[in-house]
Amino acid sequence: MMRNRMVEKFKSPVSRMILAARVGCASVAALGASYPAAASATAAPAAVQPAKAASVAQPAKAAAGAQPPAAPTPAASSTVAAGFSFVKSLGGIDEYRLDSNGLTVLLVPDHSAPVVTFQVTYQVGSRNEVTGTTGATHILEHMMFKGSEGFNDPRGNSIKQFLERVGGQFNATTSFDRTNYFATIGRESLEGYIAIEADRMRHLWLREADRQSEMTVVRNEYERGKNDPDNVLMEEVTAAAYEALPYHHPTIGWKSDIEHVPIARLREFYDTFYWPNNATVTVIGDLDTAATLNLIKKYYGVYAHSPAPIPTMYTEEPAQSGERRVTVKRPGELGTVIIAHKVPNGRDGDQPAFDILDAILSSGKNARLYRALVDQGLALNAGAGTDLHHDLSLHTVYAVLAPGAEHEQVERALLGEIAKIKSDGVTAAEVARVKQQFTAAEAYKRDGTAAIAAEINEWIAVGDWTLYVTFPQKVQLVTPADVQRVAKEYLKDDQSTTGWFIPVPPAAEKGS
Amino acid sequence: MRHHVLAALFLVSAAAAASVADQSHRSQIAGVDLITYHTDVKDVVVILGSLPAGDAMAEPGNIAVPTLAGMMLDRGTKKLDKFAIAEQLDNVGAEIAFSVGTQSLEIRAKCLKKDLPLVIGLIAAELRTPALQPQEFNKAKQQFIGALEASAQNTEARAQEAFGRATFPPGHPNRPHTVSDYKAAAKAATLDELKAFHAKYYGPAHMTLVVVGDVAAAEAQAEIDKAFSGWTGGQDYVRPAMAAVLKAAGEVSVPLADKPSVSVLIGQPTGLRYKDPDALALRVGTAILGSGFTGRLMGIVRDKEGLTYNIGAAMADDSIADGRWDISASFAPALLDKGIASTRRELDRWWKDGVTDQELAARKQGLVGSYLVGLSTTTGLANAILTDVQRGYDVSRLETYPGAVKALTRDEVNSAIKNHLNPSLMVLVKAGSVAPAAH
Repeated sequence: MMRNRMVEKFKSPVSRMILAARVGCASVAALGASYPAAASATAAPAAVQPAKAASVAQPAKAAAGAQPPAAPTPAASSTVAAGFSFVKSLGGIDEYRLDSNGLTVLLVPDHSAPVVTFQVTYQVGSRNEVTGTTGATHILEHMMFKGSEGFNDPRGNSIKQFLERVGGQFNATTSFDRTNYFATIGRESLEGYIAIEADRMRHLWLREADRQSEMTVVRNEYERGKNDPDNVLMEEVTAAAYEALPYHHPTIGWKSDIEHVPIARLREFYDTFYWPNNATVTVIGDLDTAATLNLIKKYYGVYAHSPAPIPTMYTEEPAQSGERRVTVKRPGELGTVIIAHKVPNGRDGDQPAFDILDAILSSGKNARLYRALVDQGLALNAGAGTDLHHDLSLHTVYAVLAPGAEHEQVERALLGEIAKIKSDGVTAAEVARVKQQFTAAEAYKRDGTAAIAAEINEWIAVGDWTLYVTFPQKVQLVTPADVQRVAKEYLKDDQSTTGWFIPVPPAAEKGS
Repeated sequence: MRHHVLAALFLVSAAAAASVADQSHRSQIAGVDLITYHTDVKDVVVILGSLPAGDAMAEPGNIAVPTLAGMMLDRGTKKLDKFAIAEQLDNVGAEIAFSVGTQSLEIRAKCLKKDLPLVIGLIAAELRTPALQPQEFNKAKQQFIGALEASAQNTEARAQEAFGRATFPPGHPNRPHTVSDYKAAAKAATLDELKAFHAKYYGPAHMTLVVVGDVAAAEAQAEIDKAFSGWTGGQDYVRPAMAAVLKAAGEVSVPLADKPSVSVLIGQPTGLRYKDPDALALRVGTAILGSGFTGRLMGIVRDKEGLTYNIGAAMADDSIADGRWDISASFAPALLDKGIASTRRELDRWWKDGVTDQELAARKQGLVGSYLVGLSTTTGLANAILTDVQRGYDVSRLETYPGAVKALTRDEVNSAIKNHLNPSLMVLVKAGSVAPAAH
């Protein structure tokens, strides 16, 4: 599902890394007819919230003392399950490596409910695509539901048949830096799901007839995204901000590439990236460590290491030499302004300061953008966030114009708030308040295995899963001076990319 | 499951297969229907609630007032301005949100255990003594009008509006007003109207609060009593005497320029409330048609024919009043006719031939499984409890729902489909870059 990034950004500054341009495949959970649903007219979209299990770390405690981030426990023994090397433990997460093929395994025991979330993350995303194959990673994600040699519709045991029969909540998503497949199920169904997931790692059906029928499905997903002018604007801002890095193109791809990418190229993609040594399996919930590792070995251990090294993406973004601007004009009612800046990769030590900065700008009614824009009648909503990437990340501030407001006026107000932080900094009280919000958010993360998996998945994509544990701790060490410094260092006018959505009055539209 | 199946209902140690009765408490506290449910998720408490003050309660004079009243709640109380409220919440990382739906004002809050008194106190103050200042009222109006303008170009929102107006008669709570009517009403709304609405509809008489998480029942009860004691008033939900009945098929087009994907709805009113005898059977039959990847619509119209990204069937809006049944889908304009034809073909086949024993067995198992998985989070559990209470059940529904699903027979499901639906009388709505329907 193509998500509305603008809305997500405004809802939860804490969940910023989940905001990466992302397209999903199944979206079937929302269709569960009997499922108890929240009855909220203004509820947030089904945004994945970052999360952490009750048994994972004690971030609040560590944060309160502003202690240095925890160091992982180094490898000590590998006696839990034969065939695995224990790599490290951190915050209640145990990392193992399957010796025979390099598969990384993260286990997060949490016995609060008899369910587990199983997830496999492949480190391949739209950053691994080039012109002509844009969107291929995402199409391949769709094709992963078309059946594999051992599990398919004709046999009555396909992944969708199995997971829906056991009541699993499942889906898959693709973003710039990774692709993930996951399900939350009763723990007695774990082996069945692992067997299917492992089979499709190397025995996927990749048939031209399936590509043809799925191409139009993906194209409709693309079209649905194009219905939303703000989504189009964000894609165009991103495309302008990144000149050389493949973040330039949207994860869902260009329409012509979606329509024409040959099945052979998809096969090539699959055979290049879908290997155990390019994957991380994460299991969270009511699990037994030894038994789970043995299941993983049973089904993934049959595969060898990739025959060739996984290709690395070596393109670097050239320096930006001045302000960039884009404009989208389409039928609509309300304008939008986005101001983006490229900032360091998601692992960078300056990122925690951006988390604090973004929350000060956009979290709640005391946020600076709310006071300066929303409360002044310039914007319906306004926010700030950072999409964390494996390479250069993207920081954005945005506002959806209130009726009657002008783009120039709103852009000036957004820039003015950034300028104030650069010149005057932020207060200790603001930083303390935001830190407290993060502390509470850490506790909320304990509620649900799927949310934990979703956040770990994003840190894997960035390149270091341990940031799931250490990032919140690093946030607690940020000072007001850090916030001012990163604003001054990275949010420079001549490094910005500004986008305007200018609504064109709809032509007379008459229904029937 | 290896555990007793009920263990999945509780966020407690898997070894402790306690009953719902052991974990939950329901009582009238200060006039509020309070349900508490203790779980082992450390420190976290989720509060959900509802109060009959939704759009259906709008007085004839102004349909925008219920929403505006809900929007005013977090804009200051008699004692605290909106920034002071926000600061108190921000300082402890707590969240309170209000939203207005068809029948209810919905309350959603989350906090750490230690902050429960603060959060319940703020919820009570916001509900009981909102400041209702003119300046904030004008800002709320502007926000509401802006949101309406934004929705005017949203194909799904416009399809929903057209569908509700084509399927429910004037006066029925599930019949929506138009965006343009809302806009005009919002512009004309006065603070006096809003104050009168608040005085009439905001009260504990039919209010429900569900408190789930790391909290003892006695503690929650004491805090609710302290915060809500002395509050009076409130009105019941709108329950139409006559269920909506569809009498003739219709087609509605909502042309919107430059929309590469058309939102489509096909459906009808069911005449059923959730708790009515045939409703569960129809729900399970509907899931076989249009829920998940293995639903017939996804399996055929999407998977085999590649005509859409998203298609499904569902029943909705039936917790309090009689509700609706619909298929929702999206199609590119070029594939619209083909997509609708395929959808109708599968709808007709399902209605005519019914579901198979094999489909029913698989779907029953899946529905029960997903229900239990959904209860594995505090928020999921709280949602389920509140929804069940709104539907007229007690908390014990958490235990009885799986059995009710399992007990359904194929005859019951197929009879419900035939008795309550009629594809030849369904309404078709298309919103997007389409031509107006010919009359």
